[in-house]
Amino acid sequence: MSSSVYVAGIGVISAIGNNVPQHLASFEREEAGMCDISLFDTTHSKKLPVAEVKLDNKQLTAITGLPDDTSRTALLSLIAAKEALTDAAIPGFDTLRSGFVSANSVGGMDKSEAFFVDFLANNNKGKLRNIYDHECGSMTEIVADQLGISDYMTTISTACSSSANAIFYAARLIKNDVLDVVIAGGADALTKFTLNGFNTLMILDKELCRPFDEHRAGLNLGEGAGYLVLVSEKVANKLSKGLYCRLSGCHNNNDAYHQTASSPDGTGSYLAMKGALEKSGLVPSEIDYINLHGTGTPNNDSAEGTAIKRLFDPKCPPMSSTKSFTGHTLGASGGIEAVLSVMAIKHKIIYPNLRFETPMNDLGLVPETKFLKNQNIDHVMSNSFGFGGNCTSLIFSRI
Amino acid sequence: MPEEKNITGSCTINNGAVFKDGEQLFENKGIDLQHFLLSVYQHFQLNYPKFYKMDSLSKLGWLASEILLKSGFGKENYQSEEVGLVLANSNSSLDSDSKYFDTVKDIASPSLFVYTLPNIVIGEICIRNHFKGEHAFFIQDTFDALFIEKQVNYLLDRDILKACICGWVDVLEQDYKVVLFLVEKQKNEHSLLFSAENMCNIFNNSKGI
Repeated sequence: MSSSVYVAGIGVISAIGNNVPQHLASFEREEAGMCDISLFDTTHSKKLPVAEVKLDNKQLTAITGLPDDTSRTALLSLIAAKEALTDAAIPGFDTLRSGFVSANSVGGMDKSEAFFVDFLANNNKGKLRNIYDHECGSMTEIVADQLGISDYMTTISTACSSSANAIFYAARLIKNDVLDVVIAGGADALTKFTLNGFNTLMILDKELCRPFDEHRAGLNLGEGAGYLVLVSEKVANKLSKGLYCRLSGCHNNNDAYHQTASSPDGTGSYLAMKGALEKSGLVPSEIDYINLHGTGTPNNDSAEGTAIKRLFDPKCPPMSSTKSFTGHTLGASGGIEAVLSVMAIKHKIIYPNLRFETPMNDLGLVPETKFLKNQNIDHVMSNSFGFGGNCTSLIFSRI
Repeated sequence: MPEEKNITGSCTINNGAVFKDGEQLFENKGIDLQHFLLSVYQHFQLNYPKFYKMDSLSKLGWLASEILLKSGFGKENYQSEEVGLVLANSNSSLDSDSKYFDTVKDIASPSLFVYTLPNIVIGEICIRNHFKGEHAFFIQDTFDALFIEKQVNYLLDRDILKACICGWVDVLEQDYKVVLFLVEKQKNEHSLLFSAENMCNIFNNSKGI
């Protein structure tokens, strides 16, 4: 590593809260965000639990001041990105080379889906020009404009590892002295396409998800956004407000095994975690907590568990899947979980893995099930593994 | 001055026949596409059970890549990251999209759903050969050799790749055509200069080099 990359601000919105303090409170109360579908229009309502952000589009547009026809993805993105930027309180922000690296996987599809219901029946109902900008990059542009970032912006879409890769990429931009400060993370709103698609793949649990449990039956979809403000050493030295931590390692690997599934032995996840450790200069025993990808699907959890055992045995660090609270927020999950990993260091906490009862048969891994305070947390690993075997691990370290 | 690049092999599957480097290797006309694809698989004595799970687009692209790489490709000369793909077609994954949509009325099929993207065919070829280089799939009205030339030149001239499989793979119901080119920096006994013109000639005469 040529120079360090620091975390100066965090922002998050998900089913368990609209900002960082609300998330902390929900974890402390051990209160999950999944419930019956109330805001999102789908035939699966009452049948499948999802983790919705508890604000409707009207409330979100009122908070953000964005136009009524803005996609929920951009609305969630702006709320969390703004919280992060405000939190960082960087003096002279306008004079720095700034960037916005944002991930999402659905773009404005929530709005496209609503549009096509009427339009397919009668093509006089609606104009195609009103939906041309629902691709992923448009979401980034809307938010970058609002944040006043014009030096650099880009969008990363690699399924469930999208926003971890956005953070990885942002760190490289800073390390290579291309930018001084980058807001990096991602957002995704619930859409019919993702809910129906995951339902087709038969990997949705009809009950609340049970990550890392032998009897796990799939994931619950969620939505939200999470962002970090990453700064260079030069900017970090000028900040009057304290820094959260350092992004000490990141690594991406692809196990190129199947369109959606991970390889059974977790080759991609193993290489991602191992690579991140090497870049951070740490040995496995120095990791104090792993924020698991832990979706609750049979395939992910056994592959991730196998990879963790291979890397950390005989002594695996405390671990938990916060998706047991937030659901799987897809393109937002790496960003949200990066924020939670940073909070784990700041507040010296470990999050519980809700609803865990029975360890996976051949692995015997037992995640943390209680909210723990006053823990010695210096190094946290955050895993994000995407469809297509796109695996990313990030490591955050106390300064 | 960028290094010269060569088309060191080609494979065309079209109209009930398979050509490699200009030579017809197999013909089986007048049967439906599924049976034809299976007959190609059997004729070349390929052994890859995953073939049976693939959609038509992947079967076509995968078969053409197997035949293209069967002899003459020195896989050991390249690292995984040095071989990539640039493919295009005009019907995207529409053939699988509509087959998948038909199942939604009953039980939505997970095995069809995972093929409802055109670039899955690239994934199948990469998984088979452990290729891990850059790749891209473009949707175009017709085969645009100039565009493909530009993309492949970019990847090879900047040493992003050392070898690239490029071309066209398209299917919609019973209409299909695949033409793949292997592009490398070295030459062989039948290689042609890599150019849009040479790709067009091979694409249009349907026999290959």
